[in-house]
Formats: sequence, C-alpha cells, structure tokens
Amino acid sequence: MIGSAMSFALVFTVFAPLACVGLVGLLTLLREKAPSESRVARIMGAGLAASALGGVAVLLGFLGAFGDPIRGEVELGDWLRIGDFVMPAVLLVDNISVTISLFGAFLTALVARFSRTYLHKEPGFNRFFTLLGVFATGTQLVALAGALELFFAGWEMIGISSALFIGFFHERDEPVRSSVRAFATYRLSDAGLLIATVTTFELLGSARFSIFANAATLPAAESTAIALMFLLSAMGKSAQLPFSGWLPRAMEGPTPSSALFYGAVSIHAGLFLLLRVWPLLEVSMVARIIGVAVGLSTAIYAAAVVRVHTDAKGALAHATLAQVGLILAEICLGWTTLALVHLVCHAFLRLGQYLKAPNMIHDSHRLGHLHRTPTLLDRWSPALSARVYASSLHRLRLDDRIDAAFAPVMALARVVDAADRKLRGLVSLDRSNP
Amino acid sequence: MIGAEAMASINALLTAPWEALAFCLLLIVAPAVAEPLHRRWHLPSLIAALLVTLLTSNGAIAYVAVAIGAVVHAWGAWQASRTGAVMLVASAVLALAVAVALQLDQLTLAFGLSCVTVAMRAGVMPLHIGVASLCDRAPVVQTQQLASTVALVFIHLRFVDHHAAAIAAGPTLVRYGAVAAVLAALMTLVQKDLRGFYRGTTAMHGGMLFAAIGAASIGNFAAALLVAVSMGLALGGLGMMITSLEERVGPVMFRGPGGRIGAFPKLAGAFILFGGAGVGLPGTAGFVADDLLLHTLWMESPTSTVVIILSSAMVAVATLITFSKTFLGKTVASLAPDLYPRERAVALTLLLLLLLLGFAPGVLLGPADAFLTAVPT
Repeated sequence: MIGSAMSFALVFTVFAPLACVGLVGLLTLLREKAPSESRVARIMGAGLAASALGGVAVLLGFLGAFGDPIRGEVELGDWLRIGDFVMPAVLLVDNISVTISLFGAFLTALVARFSRTYLHKEPGFNRFFTLLGVFATGTQLVALAGALELFFAGWEMIGISSALFIGFFHERDEPVRSSVRAFATYRLSDAGLLIATVTTFELLGSARFSIFANAATLPAAESTAIALMFLLSAMGKSAQLPFSGWLPRAMEGPTPSSALFYGAVSIHAGLFLLLRVWPLLEVSMVARIIGVAVGLSTAIYAAAVVRVHTDAKGALAHATLAQVGLILAEICLGWTTLALVHLVCHAFLRLGQYLKAPNMIHDSHRLGHLHRTPTLLDRWSPALSARVYASSLHRLRLDDRIDAAFAPVMALARVVDAADRKLRGLVSLDRSNP
Repeated sequence: MIGAEAMASINALLTAPWEALAFCLLLIVAPAVAEPLHRRWHLPSLIAALLVTLLTSNGAIAYVAVAIGAVVHAWGAWQASRTGAVMLVASAVLALAVAVALQLDQLTLAFGLSCVTVAMRAGVMPLHIGVASLCDRAPVVQTQQLASTVALVFIHLRFVDHHAAAIAAGPTLVRYGAVAAVLAALMTLVQKDLRGFYRGTTAMHGGMLFAAIGAASIGNFAAALLVAVSMGLALGGLGMMITSLEERVGPVMFRGPGGRIGAFPKLAGAFILFGGAGVGLPGTAGFVADDLLLHTLWMESPTSTVVIILSSAMVAVATLITFSKTFLGKTVASLAPDLYPRERAVALTLLLLLLLLGFAPGVLLGPADAFLTAVPT
C-alpha cells in the first residue's frame, strides 16, 4: 500500500509538469486563439506545485514518516520488453535523488512564480511557461531515474528546453545563433552519454545505476572508456573546458531561465551524473585524473575571465563556472559528500544572484564600486599580467578554436552535398526546378 | 473439418498484425486528409494494397501488393516528379522479382532484391535519388509512400529475413547503413532550403533504417519495425508541415531569419515536434526507436553504432538550424492563415501516435515482435 503510494508520488513528481505542458499544447493546437497568459500561468503553476508536493511526499516516504522508510529502486514496470531486452521504468530513491528532486522542484516553482510578474505581457510568455514544464520534468527524471535510459530522456529534455530558452528573444540574431551553438555542444557531448549507456548495457547486462556496483569486475580499459564517455557528457552539460564557450552566450535568454539553468540546476546536471556513476568513476583512475585537471583548469580560466567581464550576467556565468569546476575536481578526488553539499549551496546562492542581476546597476550605485588594486601578478610581471588580461578578455578564443576544429567536417559536408547534387543532376528525369 | 479450417482462418485473422496495419493506414490516410487529392481512386487503391500486404500469409502475394502500391504512388507522382515515379516503378519491378524468387524458393535472391527495394523506397544513399526527387517535388506522395515503406519493411522482416544468408549479410548491411546515414547527415548540415533539409533528413533516416534491417537478421525485428514506424510518423508529419508552409509562403530558402513563428505559431510548434521526434525527442517514438536501435546495432558493429549516434546528433543540430532559419527572427506578417482544422487534426493524430509509441512502445512492438518471431524459418 505504502509502496504503491510512493510509486504514485514519484510518478506525480516527475510527470505532473509534463501533463500540464500537454494540456497547454492541446489548448493551443485545438483552439483558434492561444490560451491567455493567466490561464497558462495557472495551469503550469499547478503542475509545478503538484510536482513539488509530490517531492515532499517522496521525502517523507524516504524518511519513513508513513511506516518503513522506502529506499532504493521503485519499479514502475517495463517501459519496453522485447525478448531478453528490457528497458525498465525504474526510479531510484536515495539521499542524492531526493535532495536533487526536491531542490529542483522548489526552485522551478519559485522561478515560475517570479517569472509570472517578470515576464508579464512579454510576447513569449506562454512559450516560457511551456518550456519551464518540459524542463521541470527533465530535472525530475534526471534526479529520480534509476536507469540510464530514463536519465537520458530527462537529460535531453533539459538540453532542448535550455537551447530554446537561449533563443527565447528570437527577433534578434544573436540569441538564435547562441541557441544553436549551445544545442550543438549539448548534442555532441550527449553522444558520450549515449555511447556510455549502450556500452554499460552490453558489458554489465543492464543500464540500471545499481549495476555500477559491479564496475570493479570490468577490465580497466573498458571501465575507463565508459567513465571517460560519462565525463565527456558531464563536461558538455556543465560547460567545462573546452566546452565553456556556450555558457556566456547562454545569457541571451530571459533572466529567470538563466538563473534556473545556468545558476542552479542545468549547469550542475553534469556533476550530478558523475555522482550517480561514482562507483564506476572510482575504479577509473585515468578518468578521475582527467576530471580533476579539467575541473581545476576550468576554475582558473573562469576566475580569470570573471575579473575582466563587463556585463553582470556574463560575470556571474563565469563565477558559476569557476565553482562548478571546483565541484568537478572534488567529485573526481572522491569527496562526493562535500561535492553534493557544495553543489546545493552553490545553486541556491547563484539562483539569488541571477534573479537579482537586472538590479545590479541600481545596487552598484547604492553600494559604490570597489577600487581596483594591483594584484601580485601585476606587480611581479606586468607583461604577463597584460597577456593574461588579453586572453581572459577574449576567453581564450574558445569558440574560434572549436569552429576551426569543425571546419574540416563542414568542408567535407559541402563536398558530399556537391557530389550528391551532381549525381542527382546526372540521373534526374525532371526538367525544371521544383 | 470445415470447422477446423474456419477456426484456423479466424485464428490467422486474430493474430494478424493489426497494430502495424493501423499505424500504416493512419499514415497513408493522413496526407489525403491534410491535402485532399483530386483522384478519388488513389487512396482506396493504396489502402487495398496495404491491407493485402499486411494481412496475407503468402510472401509472394504480399510483394505483389507492394508492387501494385508502388505503381499507384508512381501514378500520383508522375506529374510532379518523373524521377520519383520511375524510382517507384523500378521498386515495383524489384518487388515483383522478390515475389517470383519467393515462389521459386530462392530465399537468398529474394533477400538481396528485397534489401535493394527497401533501400530505394527508404532513400538510402546512393539509391536515394528517387526519394530525393519526391521530397523536392511531391512531398505528399513521399509521405504516403513512407506508409507503404513501413509495410514493405514489415514483410521483409516477415518473409525474407529468416535464414542464413540474411544473418551473414547483417554486419555488412549495418555498416552500409551507417555510412549512408553519416553522409546524409553531413549533407543535411549544409542545406540552404527547406526541401533540401527534408531530403537530407530523409536520407539519414533511410540509412538508419537500413542498418536496423541489417541488425534485424539476428532476430532484432522490433528495432527495425519501430525505426520504420517512427520514421514514417515523424518524417510524414514533417513533410506535411513543410507542404502546408510552402503552400502559404512559397519555397523557403535560408537567406536569413524567416520570422514566421508569429504568423504560424501552430505550424512552427508542429514542425519542431515532428523534427524532434525524428531525432529522438524524449517522450516520442523516435527516442525509444533510437535507443533500441543502438542496442541492437552494438551486437553487430560497435563502430557503426557510434557513427549512427553522431549522424543523429548532426541531424538534430540541422533540425534546430532549419527551425531557426524558417520560423525565428524578426516577425514577418502574413495574410495566410495558420494550420487549418483538418491539418491540425492530422498533425495532432500523428503527434499522439508518436507520443503513444514513446510512452508505451509495447503497444505496437509486443504483438508485432511476437508475430514476426513466430514465423517458422
């Protein structure tokens, strides 16, 4: 009885926002006139509140408020079963998942309430709330998934909603370009997660997170390869070097979504993935060393850039990145509890800072400016300091370097396209252009 | 005696692949509802051919029905796309050859010819020229022929994919499909018009389907079938949305931001959902199809699996670029209306089917897989 109530609460937590998205979608598609701002806000607000309440019920069940504590995997049946192949619909209730689920649900509901006023009469109001619902379900799936397939579904929902939020003000060119760049980075790094999912299933016989308890039985090369794929995926989602270029561009989106995504939840999703697959990471020293190196170098890079950034949200983005780099290093050093605490506290701090960012000019007038004093590097080597300054100002030209790395791929694409046109031109029986 | 025969017939009817048939029928009817055709005999002929294809237990008859369906499609395509029509007739001839080979018990030959037929109809490079022309010039016919292609895949899995030659050819087909998919994906990235995008993404899905058919030879029928159905639904929907848009604004070139989302918000929403479903949007059939396909491909060729993952990622990026260049940007006013109720009804039906298969893929795959696996070798 309690078990089925827990299952219901879990399903409610995950799917309530998505059901509301479906309702808004139906209202939009079936009616001639789009639903009003207040109706959309009410429907989505109800979905997000229901998700948060479901999260509280899950927490109470986890703590044993209704009898025996419910912990571990909660089976909801099979998503798909074909012969021996099973894609389980399984959720995982443990201290990490309950923390992240509740934290994600409350922050999303909070941001929704803030946005109702902040985005009032904005042309994309309905779009914003619909995307927020998709994001909420994605976050809950990531937090509570007990298997990699479900986790990946949530991961993708976060990625898609993130890209569409970045391009929210689509009447300007720059947000649209930034949205495509962020999405391309996500999809590239998501390939790592997909490969890791399939490999895990094939080598360990299941894609449940609990299967990583057997990670030590894998040969070192195989466990390292899978761990590196997870690390690649986490680096893309959490904007670690060399994928950091999309983060400042992501600030083109509305402030509430920037706060939720790049201050609180989405930016930490990669770290959460690494916490989830920690037993695998633990046995792969190579992946851990690379993780520490990437985390620390991102922290140094972001700390340098934040000092020269001239806009509030860009500076906040890099400040966030510096901390995320440190948390990545903490995880790879094995300090997972510290990393979880750091992650949650950092997310709360940044959410508040982002939401307050539009007020920054007012605040700086009220509080005054800090006078810049020469740093140790300025005094020790002014020339080196100037070079660091210039590199930080240009953000190491990360985007240019990535574009250069992909230039041969695009050149190959143009060659293939030209060859295809030639072939079709030779064989075509059609006389004129369509 | 008569009672036993009658029972066997009733049993055969009850165990027929009704779920697959329902999906194919909806897909074949959808474009006719969204874009009513002038030839009244066209749709009933296609439906009749589809019913025979999926309900007969004789492989040769099924392939003859596929051939007849292809000729009907070719008839519909001739005015707009002669290349497409000739491809369809060629595929009809090949289907007839498969029927003859099956009658002569030449299973290896039947398998080879059936693979070529599927490649032509699904648009696998470099046999994609006919499908590319249909995408460019007759997207409505292309959508309908996708439904027939799903039925073709079904009978391929049912009648010619159950023997040693198919198992031996599996890894080669998987590799070929992966290469075709990645080439098409690369091509999709650099398209400069909406039809070009549709052409490229169709060819990429064709490659994926071909790889899935290769992997099906070792018993993974469900993956191939789901890839075919999700391809049919997603690309079919996408094709209809492209047709609807171009009927309103003319050919769409990517010269700058399109700014059409203000004038056609419902069309834009449906476009991104169909496009997303094609590249594995969570919650849709595309997601489960991709996941299932990758697991099955891994058994045949891990390298091809990685190639397919990268191809899908590239087409996903191309889809967002296309959406941006078609719909986003400074709002452009238009006198043309957004989707008509009949177009909305069709879009909604296809989206609901995609969602149904995304959340409960067992509805189709459970019975269909049992049906295909039970066929004696």
